[in-house]
Amino acid sequence: MTDRARRVLVVDDSALVRRWVRHVLEPAGFAIEEALNGIEALEKALGGGFDLIVVDVNMPRMDGMTFLRSLRRQPLPVGGTPALVASTENGPQDREAARRAGANFYLVKPLDEEILRSHVAALAGAPAWTP
Amino acid sequence: MDAHVRRGAARRLSVDPGAADALGRAFGVEGDPSVREAILAALVRIGGVRAVEAVLPYLRSDDAALRTGALDVLKSLPESVECLPALLDDPDADLRVLAAEVARAMPNGAALLCRRLLHEHDPNVCAAALDVLAEIGGPDCLPSLQVCAERYVSEPFLRYAVATAVARIGGSQAPGS
Repeated sequence: MTDRARRVLVVDDSALVRRWVRHVLEPAGFAIEEALNGIEALEKALGGGFDLIVVDVNMPRMDGMTFLRSLRRQPLPVGGTPALVASTENGPQDREAARRAGANFYLVKPLDEEILRSHVAALAGAPAWTP
Repeated sequence: MDAHVRRGAARRLSVDPGAADALGRAFGVEGDPSVREAILAALVRIGGVRAVEAVLPYLRSDDAALRTGALDVLKSLPESVECLPALLDDPDADLRVLAAEVARAMPNGAALLCRRLLHEHDPNVCAAALDVLAEIGGPDCLPSLQVCAERYVSEPFLRYAVATAVARIGGSQAPGS
């Protein structure tokens, strides 16, 4: 285990949500990078080095589910990067769709400070995602 | 039929104002992302109330790509303003979240969102509205933000959202930035 800050990519078209996640996670020692949609996120993720991706579902240009499916098609280690879906939608079908797309975990917005911090801590750097 | 043929058909229909309904139906069953994009571009080019009505049902779709595609069209068309009050009052909170995004692109979007905030009780809708108001809102929005702040006094994220919007509108730095 290195002592580098664990890198988290936050993918959300809401500037407010991106700022909030940064506000919660940076003091806990995480290094945050941001993307506004799935296309931007995929470009950044392909560069590698992220310990976790926190991704919204409804976004312009490329939504979160399409992004996750594209991510999981990439070779390891990029394709196995743990991913946490954060969505306003709370139905069982939404959770199942996220799981099928390749999410490791699903959180419902609004994102509670403690819950977000603890789940990110548990998932960042977790073993590579497997179907 | 090949995707390139369907893309070509969508492009050709973009000059036919009567094709909005057909394009809307095709959007709902189209599986190829590039054809979907061509259909959405055609609908934006056609414009008008018919194009708005053609994509409106997809805001309720379980398919995220359909929802976001419909949202992109609605944000591009000024005629969306006519359905915006109804969208903001819809019983489905997920739909109201999307409506807040439509409001971002409408000239009277801030006023409609402020009105909504006065009686909105879903935190995600409030957050979506606050996010938009931080960008497009003016000083006349501050009383609505105050009402929202009082409602969510024990909810850290909403408190943060209100403080951010107030700071942006007031021209000062957002909290934590």
